[in-house]
Amino acid sequence: MEGASATLEPLFAFLAHALATAETTFNKLPGSAVIQRYVKSSHQNDPGRTILELILVIFAIRTLLQSRTRADRNGKHFIQFSDKEVDELVDEWSPEPLAQPLTAIEQADLAAVPVVAGPNGPKPKLVSTGKTATNLTSFNFTGLAGNEHIKQKAVETLRKYGLGSCGPPGFYGTLDVHMDLERDIADFLGAEAAILYSQGFSTISSVIPAFCKRGDIIVADRGVNFAIQKGIQISRSTVRWFDHNDLNSLEDALISVEKERKKRRGPLTRRFIITEGIFERDGAMADLPKLIELKYKYKYRLILDETFSFGTVGRTGRGLTELYNVPATKVDMLLGSVAIGLCSSGGFCAGSQNVVDHQRINGPSFVFSASMPALLAVSASEGINILRSTPSILTSLQENVQAAHAILDRVDCITIPSHPASPVIHIQVRSQPGSSLHPSTAATMAIPGKQSNPHSILGKDSSSQDWDIDVEERLLQDVVDEALAQGVILSRAKRLRGQEMSDARPSIRLALTSALTKKETEKAVGIVKAALVKVLGKRR
Amino acid sequence: MPLNSPLPSPMAITKLPSPSMFKKRSSPSLTSAASYLSALSQADARARSVNRSSSPASTPALSLSSSITSSSEDTVLHEFDADDNADGLALPARPPTSEQVFTTVHTEFGHCANGEYRLTSQHTPGAEVPAHVDQDPPYYILFSTYISYLILICLGHVRDFVGKRLSPKSYKHLIPRDGYAPLNSDFDSFYTRRLKTRMDECFSQPVTGVAGRTILLLDRLSPDYNHTQVFTGTKTRALNISSYNYLGFAQARGGCADAVEECIKRYGISTCGSRLEGGSSDLHTISEALVAKFVGMEDALISSMGFATNSTYIPALVGKGCLVISDELNHASIRFGVRISGANVRMFKHNDMGSLEALLREVISQGQPKTHRPWKKILIIVEGLYSMEGTLVNLPGILELKKKYKFYLFVDEAHSIGALGPRGRGVADYFGVNPRGIDILMGTFTKSFGAAGGYIAGNKTLIDRLRVNGHSGAYAEAMTPPVLTQVIASMASIMGIALPSTSSSGTLRITPSSSCSTAVPAEESQHPGPAPSNSLPPWIQLPPSLASGSEGSTRLRRLAFNSRYLHNGLIKLGFITYGHPSSPIVPLLLFNPGKMNMFHRMMKDRQTPIIVVVVAYPATPLVTSRVRFCVSAAHTKEDVDCVLRACDEIGDVLDLKHGLGKRERWGVQRVLGSAVELAGM
Repeated sequence: MEGASATLEPLFAFLAHALATAETTFNKLPGSAVIQRYVKSSHQNDPGRTILELILVIFAIRTLLQSRTRADRNGKHFIQFSDKEVDELVDEWSPEPLAQPLTAIEQADLAAVPVVAGPNGPKPKLVSTGKTATNLTSFNFTGLAGNEHIKQKAVETLRKYGLGSCGPPGFYGTLDVHMDLERDIADFLGAEAAILYSQGFSTISSVIPAFCKRGDIIVADRGVNFAIQKGIQISRSTVRWFDHNDLNSLEDALISVEKERKKRRGPLTRRFIITEGIFERDGAMADLPKLIELKYKYKYRLILDETFSFGTVGRTGRGLTELYNVPATKVDMLLGSVAIGLCSSGGFCAGSQNVVDHQRINGPSFVFSASMPALLAVSASEGINILRSTPSILTSLQENVQAAHAILDRVDCITIPSHPASPVIHIQVRSQPGSSLHPSTAATMAIPGKQSNPHSILGKDSSSQDWDIDVEERLLQDVVDEALAQGVILSRAKRLRGQEMSDARPSIRLALTSALTKKETEKAVGIVKAALVKVLGKRR
Repeated sequence: MPLNSPLPSPMAITKLPSPSMFKKRSSPSLTSAASYLSALSQADARARSVNRSSSPASTPALSLSSSITSSSEDTVLHEFDADDNADGLALPARPPTSEQVFTTVHTEFGHCANGEYRLTSQHTPGAEVPAHVDQDPPYYILFSTYISYLILICLGHVRDFVGKRLSPKSYKHLIPRDGYAPLNSDFDSFYTRRLKTRMDECFSQPVTGVAGRTILLLDRLSPDYNHTQVFTGTKTRALNISSYNYLGFAQARGGCADAVEECIKRYGISTCGSRLEGGSSDLHTISEALVAKFVGMEDALISSMGFATNSTYIPALVGKGCLVISDELNHASIRFGVRISGANVRMFKHNDMGSLEALLREVISQGQPKTHRPWKKILIIVEGLYSMEGTLVNLPGILELKKKYKFYLFVDEAHSIGALGPRGRGVADYFGVNPRGIDILMGTFTKSFGAAGGYIAGNKTLIDRLRVNGHSGAYAEAMTPPVLTQVIASMASIMGIALPSTSSSGTLRITPSSSCSTAVPAEESQHPGPAPSNSLPPWIQLPPSLASGSEGSTRLRRLAFNSRYLHNGLIKLGFITYGHPSSPIVPLLLFNPGKMNMFHRMMKDRQTPIIVVVVAYPATPLVTSRVRFCVSAAHTKEDVDCVLRACDEIGDVLDLKHGLGKRERWGVQRVLGSAVELAGM
């Protein structure tokens, strides 16, 4: 023992010396006295605390070191392989083909898509037949397509600006004509400001993630269109759904969200109601005044997609706000399509200056995309001028809509979920007798006492769906083919089956236009009626 | 004429007293540097213009008159500044001789007749593809950059703290109010409010006219520290080295614009609908076939927006159970599309084949997370040319890996299509590989073609599947006829149009086929050939220079020369640049955030105003703020000289030359003098 301690003597001496040196160096450091005092006093008060703090420091160091390595590699699911094994696995692996070939039906559908030779308009010439036909499918609601004045303006713009803008808005892609169109749209609607996107479809799927972040709450209609679905998906917000176009169900959902928040005592997050003016899926129309009332009552912001109502309803085509006489400033984010409403290209979001400025930095498809060609912006501005100065366009459009409804309402093998004022008319196959209630009219058949689950996009009647997508699509395609043979271009509402959050009932989508006279419209819709009766009558 | 004229820009006049808080508060010393430099640059520009006018080649009076007589009025005169060439932009530096005929407007597409300033954009077979190297600046630059951000952040927080107490009104939109949460919280918007606002002068500058060789700025001022911008009502013409106008097809005059005008008269503005629902026209069919021919794939489809091409078609390619391996610097549209698709994503180090291979070995051997089932498919998404770095994808390397690892390859050629390759067909053409070896080629028309929108090309099965399953087909508006026409016309003039009767396709192509025939294997000489004459609608009549493809090939070769000249010139001057020398995107590293503002303004306030794009965090890593030049075929050699000269002067003032050592650097005169040699390096 003694021998051992004797041999260890120099070591102890060294240790003592080292300790002394460390102590003096430590004391020399500025602020060391404070730390020393702190450790001493905390140890004196509560020795357990020293251990706890030590553990904390060790833990912190460990986390710092760990964050540099990828979690996947160290995760418990990671399996170590030797290089040879990896090579074997690589050899074994065979991927699925990149794309499945089209099925016969899909091929036929693709081949049946009408292709217009030359300009599109009320009576275009088709490539397939070489003949002209009446167009009840293209979005030319106010007859701006082919307008000579717009064409002339477009040529003038081309000669001044060229075609492409060759840059995103942030980097020399903002042209004066873009700012003019933004101002025109804002003025037209009566909003404070507007921002222009270069594609209508991408507008809302960019606006939603610009505002709605993780943790925010979105209450959305079950029947919203695909672009909204994608926007909601990418926003990662908490979503609650309400029954399609049923504002009672909306109120229930709003109340339940409030209850949930109170229960959780979570912080105040942004809350949004997302719905459409005229629904892309079935042409139903939202009750805007009631929506506004609810939004103020429960303190939500309203994102209203007016893709199919801007440029189509209201006295001069200003959309739902004009139709219901609601100031546009009450809608927080009002979106519309320049492509559909004004026969040009692009989309817009109108709102307060704050809302618009926020998007100029945070809207992904605004920031990262080239701005729209100048001549398209000028054409849209001209379109607004025309709508402003000629209210008769909208009047004749409404006459055509009424005429079409008058004819179609008498057909008993179909149902029309669309609003009587909507120039987009969806025609669905009426369910076979036996199942008396129709799901598309969910708003009217809401059974009191039975509420849908707001967590799921599938409504309460989803289990009792009494229609078969494939059968109905075939039937409707037959109607489309039959009408085309009689000289009317129709289209089924095309859906991305399997990619949508919930399936919409198959329908034929008519898009009426003021470019056709009432007589022409009646004649064309009469042909549609005959085709419907012929094809659907056979089914019985 | 250049002597007596003052600076044309009112921004320049109001420069010194203008209220940029950046200059006032955080770097007062630079203010004097700026004034010094602006005086210097003015003096220098005057000296140069004297030199030029006294040179024996041309007196000013003569140059003005001769340029008008020898070329049509259309090509030089411009409505705004035909008689005022103080900025040196309206008139060519060298007046054209009698045998030189230019068909373009000089302000849109510069006149350059010197055949020496041409180059073929092509990869040397067998050479290594240079890896992406981040050249580090000296430590004091890194240190001061971090300190700058630290100061900015501290100042920002102090201002927030004080501001919230003294002027709660201006923070109203950032705090919860009557039961509404703020649209953006003050924490989330801190970067925007406190850092970006200081540089707002550099962003979203409104312009008017053609985004060609030059561009007309709508001058603006900010009276309130960049919170609002007020237009002064004046306009400034500036040299445009910022637009993605690689081949210079952004033109209001010329064959393409004529075709577009004819199209508007025939087709109108819109086709009124989506592709699957009554918005398809014969022009779509024609242009899709032409695009497929151009890129050398079986089939192609066209989408009306470049961003949406990625964001709406990638989800139709991959889904749950699939893996997307994405380069870490891929564009936001790709990330958007991948996120929507629901596929798993892994990233690899930018353009690093080693990192990619290691990742591939890991993911294939591990399979899907937790379940370890094999992946359904693995899709690698890379860009041909990266828009912030100028790096060229290592395509040969990836194709090598593709043989072994059986993944699918998606190449986003948004910037490279038209801009690279001896025939402008993108990266595959540049590296001389068969495009059919790539599964999906995506690209945009916004850049090289002066149009808008994008395309996806691949085999017939794939494209048909995308037509049916892609989101755009059913829901998004179809591309409008004027844009389609611009695409057809510009693309056909790059390809050249084959005469209907001739059977041999090679004879028609004048320049490019002779210079590049070696790179093309005999069996696929079909691919980079001219456009068949029946592939264009009969009413598009291109002028002979475009139809023969000779102008197209000149544009390609001018672009290649300009890119390499600027890139190598900047390196020789001592700057740190990123990217491949052949890339028309040339990023020059600035590092310090304060230098971005300064660089932008000093370039704009020169005698010949130059507008540049400065990019910073979050588009780039925090320290590597940069200025990004986008070279165009529309630039003349003199324009690139002008940019190099400006960079040289500003680089000295702002201390930007940290690349080559002082001894290896070249003087600016030497760089300008040996342009051809530099470009060939």
